[in-house]
Amino acid sequence: MLNQIIAFTWKDLKIFFKDPGAVALIFLQPFMFIVVMSYALGGLFEPGKDPIRILVVNQDMGTQAATIIRQLDEMEAFQVETAWEGQPLTREMAEKLILQGKRNLALVFPPDFSEVLAQDPGATPRRRTRIWVIVDPATSSPFVEPILGTLQGLIERSTYTAMMPKGLDYLFTQLAPQVPPEQREAFKARAQEAMSGGLLGGEEPVVALERTAPPGMRVEKLPNTFQQNVPGYTIYGVFWIVSLLAGSVLQEKREGTFRRLLAAPMSRAVMLTGKLLPYYLINLIQIAIMLGASSWLFGLSLGRSPLALLAVSLAAAAAATGLGVLVAAIVRTEAQAGGLTVLLLLTMSALGGCFVPRFVMPDWLQTLGLLTPHAWALDAYQDLLVRGYGLQEVWPKVGALTAFAAAFFGLGVWRFRFD
Amino acid sequence: MEKRTPNFVIKVDGLVKRYGDRVALNGVSFSVREGEIFGLLGPNGAGKTTLISILATLLPPDEGQVLICGYDLRREADRIRPLIGFVPQELALYPTLSAWDNLAFFGRIYGLRGTALQERITTVLDLVGLRDRAGDAVRTFSGGMKRRLNIAAGLIHGPRLLLLDEPTVGVDPQSRNFIFEHIERLRAEGMTILYTTHYMEEAEQLCDRVAIMDEGRILALDTPKGLIGLLGGGVIHMEVAAEHMEDLLSAVRALPHVRAASSRDRQLKIETRAARPALLELIELCNARDIPILSLEVLEPNLESVFLHLTGKRLRD
Repeated sequence: MLNQIIAFTWKDLKIFFKDPGAVALIFLQPFMFIVVMSYALGGLFEPGKDPIRILVVNQDMGTQAATIIRQLDEMEAFQVETAWEGQPLTREMAEKLILQGKRNLALVFPPDFSEVLAQDPGATPRRRTRIWVIVDPATSSPFVEPILGTLQGLIERSTYTAMMPKGLDYLFTQLAPQVPPEQREAFKARAQEAMSGGLLGGEEPVVALERTAPPGMRVEKLPNTFQQNVPGYTIYGVFWIVSLLAGSVLQEKREGTFRRLLAAPMSRAVMLTGKLLPYYLINLIQIAIMLGASSWLFGLSLGRSPLALLAVSLAAAAAATGLGVLVAAIVRTEAQAGGLTVLLLLTMSALGGCFVPRFVMPDWLQTLGLLTPHAWALDAYQDLLVRGYGLQEVWPKVGALTAFAAAFFGLGVWRFRFD
Repeated sequence: MEKRTPNFVIKVDGLVKRYGDRVALNGVSFSVREGEIFGLLGPNGAGKTTLISILATLLPPDEGQVLICGYDLRREADRIRPLIGFVPQELALYPTLSAWDNLAFFGRIYGLRGTALQERITTVLDLVGLRDRAGDAVRTFSGGMKRRLNIAAGLIHGPRLLLLDEPTVGVDPQSRNFIFEHIERLRAEGMTILYTTHYMEEAEQLCDRVAIMDEGRILALDTPKGLIGLLGGGVIHMEVAAEHMEDLLSAVRALPHVRAASSRDRQLKIETRAARPALLELIELCNARDIPILSLEVLEPNLESVFLHLTGKRLRD
C-alpha cells in the first residue's frame, strides 16, 4: 500500500516538474508578485474611500492635545475614536483592541502634554514628553508612515502656536533692542531655529513620537514591504495548487488512467492519498522556497519559532490541498475547473487580505474574510514573521486551518468520483 | 492464489446491468476458455464496454454471476484484479512521461520492484516493438505507438487474462496489423484474451469465438466460421412492387439454391445455399413473370452480414 502511494507520488511529482507552466504558476508567480508589488507599492499611500480609524487616548490635563485630536479628526483621511462602546478610551483598552485585531493604531497623549508645551522657555532643565504611537507590527508601513507624518506636522504646529509667543518675549527680554548687531543676528538665528521646531536652541524637540507595540507583541524587526508582502503572496500562491490538482484529476479521468488504475489491486483510498500527497509536498516545497528566498534575498525575518512556522505551513498546505480535492470533486470539465479556480482563488485571496490588508476593509468584509483559510493563514504567518509570536499564540489559527482542511477534504472525498 | 478452473477463465451467467431505467446488459451468459481469444462484436451502445467494465471489476453487476479464474467477482474482486490486465478504450497513459516511466509506474502499482520490474518493462517493450523509444515522452509517439504502449501497460504484470476494449480505435491499417501481430504472439504464449470491437474484420481474423451483441444481449455465439455459416451461402435483399409479393414468395422458396425466404412490405429477404446461382435463378424468375426488380443487394457471407441478418441493422450504424 505504501509502495503504491510512493509510486503515485513519484509519478505526479515527475509530471509536475516536467511541466514548466505548472512550475511557473506555483513558484514563479507568487515570487514575482512579492518582488514587483513590494517595489512598486513600497512608498505608496493612497487613502481609500473609508477613513482610517485611529484610537486616541487623551490623558492630557490641558487643551493642547484636544486641539491636535480635533484637527486630526477634521481630516478626511482619518476618523478619530476616543471612546469604545460608550466608555472613554484608556491606554489598556486601546492596547487590548489592537491585540484583538479590531484596530491597528492608537495614539496616547501623555498627562503633561499641555504642561510641557506651556513651560517657561528659560526653565532648566527643560521638560520633555512623548506621544505613544501603539501599532500592530503587522500593519503595513505605507499605512502607518503617513499617519505619523501628519501627526508630526500637527504637533509642530501646536508646539509653535503654544510656545512661540512666550519664546519671543523671552528672547526680547534677554536680548534688548540696543544690543550690538551680532547679538541681533544671534536672535534671528535662534528665532529661525524655533520656527523649525526645535524651540529655544534644543536639538531634540520637546515632544517626541514614540512608536511601540502592545504588550505581548514583540516587534521582530521593523516591518518593511517584503515583511508585509511575503506572507500575503505566499498564501496567495499556495492556494494555486487547487488549479493544478483539479486539472490533474480531470486529466486522469479524461485520459482513462483512473479507469485503468481502478482495475488494479489498489483501494480507492490509496489512490486518492497517492494523488494528493505529491501536491501537498509541492505546497510545502513552495512555502519553503518563498520564505527561504525572501529571507536570503530580502532579509525577511522568519520569526523566532521554526516549529510554529512548520505547524502553520503544514496546516496551510493541508487547507490548500483540501480545497483542491473539493474543486476537483465539483467540476466536470477543465473549463469549469479554470473558471471556478480563478473566481474562488482571487476572491478568497482578496477577502483574506493577501492583496490589501484586511484592517482597511469595512467591518462586514473583515468578518466575511474570516470565512477564508487565507485570512487565518495570513494572520498566523504575520504573527510569526512580523509580530514575533510563537507556537502558543498561533495554535488557534493552526486549528482553524486544520478545520478548513478537514471540511474541504471531507466534502471533497464525499463528492469525489473516479470516473 | 489461482483457483482450479481448468476449463474456463471467464464464466458469466445471467448478467444484468441497469443504468436507471435503461437496461445495458440483459441476461448475458457466456464463458471463455483458457488460452482462447474471445471476441465481443457489436455496434456502439451494444453493451460491450459495460460488460468489459464489469469483468475488469470497475462496475458491480445488478444480477447474475461472474466467475473469473474461479473467483466470484462480487465477493473476491481483490483476488481477481492481480490476474487481469485491463486495456481501456482510451489511451490511458501519462503523455508527458516516457514510455519507460509509464510502465514503471503501472508496474509498481502491481507490486513489481527493482530488477524484476526492469526486466518486465524490457520484455513488454520488446513485445510491442517500442524498446528503442523507451526514453521518449509518450506525447511524441504516433497514434499506433500509443496504442501499442497502451497494451504494454496492461501486460506489465503478466496477467492471466487480458481485457482489450476496442484496442485499435483510430489507428492506421499498418499499426492495426502490428497490433494484431502482438495479439497473435500473446495467443501463442497461451494468454486468454477478451477483445471487444465493432470491426467485424478484426473479430473474424483474430478471435477463436465471437459473441455478437446488440442492445445488451448476446444474439449469437460461435466461431467466426460457425456464425458466417448461419447465412449459408449469403443473403439477397430484393425489392419488388407489393402486389407481386405473395405470388413471388412461394416461387422463390421453391428455387434450388434458396434455403429460406421471408418478406416485409416490399422487401424479400432470401437466404441462399450459394449466392451467385441463387441470384441468377431469381433474375430468371422475375423476367419470366415480368416482375420489375426495384432494387437488389447481395450480402456476402461475413460477420457484418450475419449482424445485419440477426438485427436488421448495420454494425457501423
